Amino acid sequence: MNALIQVQDLGQSSDGHVVFQSVSFTVLAGQHLALLGSSGCGKSTLLRLIAGLDAPVRGRIWLAGQLVSDNGRILIPPHQRGLAMVFQDLALWPTLSALENVLLGMAQSHWSRRQQKERATEALTRCKVGELAARKPGTLSIGQQQRVALARAIAGRPQLLLLDEPFSSLDPLLREELMTEVRRLAGEINATLVLVTHDVLEALALAQRAIVLEDARLAESGELVSVLAAPRSRLLRQCAAQIGRLRSG
Amino acid sequence: MMSCLILERPGKWRGIGIFAGLLLALAPSLALLFSLGHPTASSPAPVFTTVFINALSRSLAVALAVAIFSVAIGLPTGVMAGLYQFVLRRTLLALLALPLLVPSFITAIGLSMVRVALGLRPNGLFSGFTGTVLAFVTFGTPLVSFITLASVRGISRSQVDAARLAGGERHLAWCVARSVLPLAALTGVLAGVLTLSDPGPGQIFGHTGAASEILVSFASQYDFALAARQCLALAGVVFFAGLPVAAFLAPRLATGLLARDVTPAPLARVRWAEMCGPMLLSALLLGTVILPLAGFVQPLFRSVPAERALQEVGRTVGNTAFYGIVASLLATMLGVTLAICSGRDAKLRATLLVGLILLFALPPSLGALGWIQLAGASPAQLDPVFRGPLTVSLALALRFFPFATIFALRGLGTASPSWSSVAAIHGVSLWTFGRKVLAPWLRPAILTSALLILLLATADVSSVLLLHPPGKSSLPLAIFTVMANAPESLVGALCVAYVGGAALLLGAGLLASRSFRRKP
Repeated sequence: MNALIQVQDLGQSSDGHVVFQSVSFTVLAGQHLALLGSSGCGKSTLLRLIAGLDAPVRGRIWLAGQLVSDNGRILIPPHQRGLAMVFQDLALWPTLSALENVLLGMAQSHWSRRQQKERATEALTRCKVGELAARKPGTLSIGQQQRVALARAIAGRPQLLLLDEPFSSLDPLLREELMTEVRRLAGEINATLVLVTHDVLEALALAQRAIVLEDARLAESGELVSVLAAPRSRLLRQCAAQIGRLRSG
Repeated sequence: MMSCLILERPGKWRGIGIFAGLLLALAPSLALLFSLGHPTASSPAPVFTTVFINALSRSLAVALAVAIFSVAIGLPTGVMAGLYQFVLRRTLLALLALPLLVPSFITAIGLSMVRVALGLRPNGLFSGFTGTVLAFVTFGTPLVSFITLASVRGISRSQVDAARLAGGERHLAWCVARSVLPLAALTGVLAGVLTLSDPGPGQIFGHTGAASEILVSFASQYDFALAARQCLALAGVVFFAGLPVAAFLAPRLATGLLARDVTPAPLARVRWAEMCGPMLLSALLLGTVILPLAGFVQPLFRSVPAERALQEVGRTVGNTAFYGIVASLLATMLGVTLAICSGRDAKLRATLLVGLILLFALPPSLGALGWIQLAGASPAQLDPVFRGPLTVSLALALRFFPFATIFALRGLGTASPSWSSVAAIHGVSLWTFGRKVLAPWLRPAILTSALLILLLATADVSSVLLLHPPGKSSLPLAIFTVMANAPESLVGALCVAYVGGAALLLGAGLLASRSFRRKP
C-alpha cells in the first residue's frame, strides 16, 4: 500500500515556545491513525499542520506522495489536499442551514449545482440527518450537529478525514453510536481517518495505529494493540494500568 | 483565490490598517495642528487669558462633579439591573437609554424651563454650576449604568452562585459591585471628560466653560486662529486626562470583547430588589427623562405653535436625516474594517481601543475646525467633500466610528476561529465566506451600531454648527439657534418633536434587534 501521509522531522513552535520537535511518521492508505497525548501536547497543532491550516516551522509533510508543506512554507493550500476535517467545536456556520453548510463545503468541487445538491442531500441522508436539511445548527441537538459536521466532511469524498476530538463533549452512548457511524462512513467513501484524542478507548474503537506525543516529542508509535501491550509513554502506561485494574477488579 | 485563513492569521496589514484608520480619523485635527505651525502676519491673540483659564477651571470642576455623581448613582443601578428581575425592568431600562441619544443642551433647556415654571431663583438648583452638572449627569448616569449592567452580565453564572453561597445577597452585591467598580469608575471619568468638549448646558445655565469660549472665538469674534489654538489647548487637557483612563480601560475592554459569550446568571427574584429596583430606576427616569420632558411640555399647555414647529421640522428633517444616515453608513464601514484589521490579537485590540477612546474624548470642534482648515486649503473641485453636506457627515462619521468598531469587535469576538479554518479546507473564497457567514453573523452588531450612530450623529450640534452649509441646518442645530430668542412654546415643541423622534427610532431599533436576535 502507498503512504498517504508522510511526516519528516516536523517541528512547531508558538510565541517562542516549542510545541513539538523531530516528529516523523508514516500513515498508509486505509490505516486509521489515532494521535494520542495529554491536553496541550500539540495533537491539534499537528493535525492543523497536516491540514495545511498552519505552516510547520521545520520539517516536511507529504500527502499521497506530494510534498505539501516544507520548512515554514505551505506548498499546497488546504482545499487542494483532498482532505476534510471535523473540528472539536464542529465549526458549523450558524447562519446557514444544514444543507447550505454541506453545499458551501463543496465550493471547490467541479460538480454542477444540481449534482452538488444531490450529493449534499445524499451525505446528510447517509449521516441520518436528511430530514433536518432545512434547519440551522442552533436549532439542532449536539448529536445532530455532529452528524451535519460529518456530512459536510464526507460530501466531497475526501481521501483523508481529520477528526479533532469531535466526540469529547458527548455522552458515552451517543459517542459510541457516532464512532460506529464514522467507521461505517469512512469505509463507504474509502477514507483514511486521523483521530486526535486523549481517550485510548476512543482510539481503540476507530484506529489501528497510534502515535503518542509527550514532552514535545513523539514518545511512541506503532500498531495500537502492540503499543498498548508494551507502553513506553506515561499516558499509555497509565491507561494500560487502568485497563489491568478493571480486568482484575 | 484569497484564503479565509487571512482573517485569523497575524500579518503586517493589520497594524498598517489600524494605523491608517486612526490617521484618517485624526487627519482634520492634524491639518489644524500643522496650520498653526505657520507664522502669521499679525501677532496672534494669547490663548491662556484669565477668561479662558477661568472657563477651563469651571469645565474641570463640572467634569469632576459629573464623574462622581454618575458613578455614585450609575453603579448601584447597573448592579441592581444586572443581578435582579423586577417589574418593568426592560421597559425602564429602554427608557433610560433615551438621555444618551438626546443632545445635552436639549436636556438643559428642559431643566431650565422647569426652573422657570416652578419660579425658582435664577441662581438656584437648575442654574449655574448645579444646573450644568445636573444636565450632564442625565447623560453620565445612564452611561455608567449600562456599562455596569453589561459588566455584571459578563460575570459567569458559577461566579455569581459561588458568591451567593458564600454570603447571601448582600455579599453577592458587594462582590459584584467591587468587581465592576474599576470599569464603572473609568466610564464615569470618561463621561466627565466628554463634558469638557460640550458647550451646550454651560451656555444655557450661564456657567460657560472652555468649549463655549471656543465657540465664542469662532462664531462671535470670527478669530479662527484663536479658536483653533483654544481648541488644541482643550484637546491637550482632554488628552492628558483621558490617556490614563484609555490606557487602563482598553486592555480590560479588549479582553472582554475578545471573550466568547459566558453563560450569565439568571436574573434573581428577591423581595427587596423587586421593591427597590423599580423605585430606583423610576427615580432615575424622573430626573433624566421626565423632568426635562415636563419642562418642554409645560409651555405647550399655554399655546402649541404647531404650524411654526412643523415648518421648522420640515425645513430641517431632510438635512438631519442625510447627516445622520450618511455618517452612520461611513462610520459603520470604517468600524467594521478596523475591527477586521485588529482580529483576535489582544495587543492590537488594546492599541486600537486606546486610540478610539482618546479620539472620541477629543473635542468635536477640533475635528470640525480641522475640516474648515482643509476646506480653505483645497481646490474648488473638492467643494462637495470639504464644503458640502457630505463634509458634515464625514466629520460626524469620524467622530462616532469608535462605537461601530467596538460593536464589530464584539461581533467578531463571538465568531469561532474554526469557521474560517473549515472554509479554507473546503476552498470557500473569502468573498463567499464574508457574504454568507460573516456578514449575517455580524448583522445584529452592525445594525445596532448603525442605529446608535444615526441617533448620536443626529443629536450632534458642535460639528454641525461649525460645518453645515448655509441653509442646511439640522433640527438640533435649529433648536440651538432659536432657543435664546424664540418663544418658549416653539422651543418646547421642537424639543418634544426631537425627543419623540429619537424615542421612535430607539423603539424601532429595539424591535428590530429582537427580530434579529440570534439563535444559540
